[in-house]
Amino acid sequence: MQPLANIAPLKPAGAIEVRNVGQVFKTTTQDVVALDNVSLDVKPGRFVVLVGPSGCGKSTLLMMMAGLRQQTSGTITISGAPIPEPDPNRVGVVFQEASLFPWLTAEENVEFPLALRGISKNDRRARAQEALKLVGLDGFGKRHPHELSGGMKQRVSIARGLVQDPPVLLMDEPFAALDEQTRMTMGDELLRIWAATGKTVVFVTHSLTEAVYLADEVIVMSPRPGRIVDHLQVPLPRPRTYEMLSGDAFGSLRDRIWRHIRKSA
Amino acid sequence: MSAASVRRLIVIGLIALWEILPRMGFIPELFLPSLSSTLAAGWNEAGEYAHALAVTLYEVAISMAFACGGGILLGAVVGSLPRPRILIMPMVSSLYAVPLVILYPVFTVWLGIGSESKIAFASIYGFLPTMLATAAGIQTIDPQLLLAARSMGATLSQRLVRVIIPAAIPTVLSGLRVGGALVIVGVVVSEMLISSAGIGYLISRYRTILDSPHVFAGVLLVLAMAVAFNAAIKWIEGKAAIWQTGTRAGQSAEEIAPAALQPAT
Repeated sequence: MQPLANIAPLKPAGAIEVRNVGQVFKTTTQDVVALDNVSLDVKPGRFVVLVGPSGCGKSTLLMMMAGLRQQTSGTITISGAPIPEPDPNRVGVVFQEASLFPWLTAEENVEFPLALRGISKNDRRARAQEALKLVGLDGFGKRHPHELSGGMKQRVSIARGLVQDPPVLLMDEPFAALDEQTRMTMGDELLRIWAATGKTVVFVTHSLTEAVYLADEVIVMSPRPGRIVDHLQVPLPRPRTYEMLSGDAFGSLRDRIWRHIRKSA
Repeated sequence: MSAASVRRLIVIGLIALWEILPRMGFIPELFLPSLSSTLAAGWNEAGEYAHALAVTLYEVAISMAFACGGGILLGAVVGSLPRPRILIMPMVSSLYAVPLVILYPVFTVWLGIGSESKIAFASIYGFLPTMLATAAGIQTIDPQLLLAARSMGATLSQRLVRVIIPAAIPTVLSGLRVGGALVIVGVVVSEMLISSAGIGYLISRYRTILDSPHVFAGVLLVLAMAVAFNAAIKWIEGKAAIWQTGTRAGQSAEEIAPAALQPAT
């Protein structure tokens, strides 16, 4: 465990800097350029959504921010330092499928990253309780994943990503597998958690509505090769409400993103 | 009436028929001695049967240790490393088509007609399905779980102990169920073929002198052994029930394994 002070943050905790990043996948027949010269700045505490058609490299970019994949060229820094390997103290990751361990209870799943670091049982339990409370799952700690609904599983997953209190939370299409209603509720829940914790959130999605509804900023990407084609500010006030979805401001933002995507898909 | 009580009734009915039909003279005692005369025959020679049971159980226990230990170990290697998989799997598959019982006379030449040749034969007999199930169990672990563990900073050994092993348990168990049953078959069959001790030997010896009650007493003992083994595996599976979704194949492994992993006899 590295205290944040030791990694000499030139930028405040939670800042993400992506500079001229490229990613090339080598196959036997040819090299596929997944990302081409991508640069991006995320200020601490912002909610940024990456959106784009399949194959635009948005998930790849997220995996590189998480330290799960290394870029072919360019640099990525989180809180001012590069991220050569996953570091749950700096970055929490939430995946599409909740990817909870089915043989562990909800609280054991949340404790998992702490257990990897040999933190004592009591400490672990206390911090897991706190994280479960934050995501609205107080009292569900003893259940196994198969006893939880899709939305609840994703809440556990978010609690697991937040349990070490990292300044950055990366989310790879976390609500894609949920039904429409649950998805809406989870969006509101996520915004509540985000407002309560002040984390930097980078959120990947296919859904334009979800993108505009959640984001401070939307980054639109296009495929072959993966590039950033637009970077929009979403001026809608917070808290976001369901009524905004049918407003003109919302619609024109959504249209602008759609035009980019239609062109590239 | 529930299915379970109907099943129980059928079993009770069969047992009653076993007693009634030979007694009424519908079936000659030579073909099917009544239950009571079978039990009496076993009771009169209790010492002999107890000794034979001890020999058989000893052979089964050692063979299980070899078959299951070796099967899990090699299965884990083959399942997790592609190179040994390419080398070994084709051999194992072709070995599967061979009726392994032809090896038994060879083993008696090498190891004599004592317990060693039975153990060698039964171990190999039970080893294959255990190994294949373990390899399949490890190969079908949801890669998302491993990615999630990595994102939380799990080292390679932590991933092995905390993710791969627990996730593979349901498939390994279904392999053990088949492998263990085949070990019992292997021991009893080899005792019946060439040997000087054990339940299989007793059955075979009493058959040559047409002493049906004593033959059936041996058969009853083998039956009891198989039922006890099945109950033990059921108990372990019950303990591990929450693990059933640990692999993508987890839910279906139970149904697939016994059919798919049955080798040629």
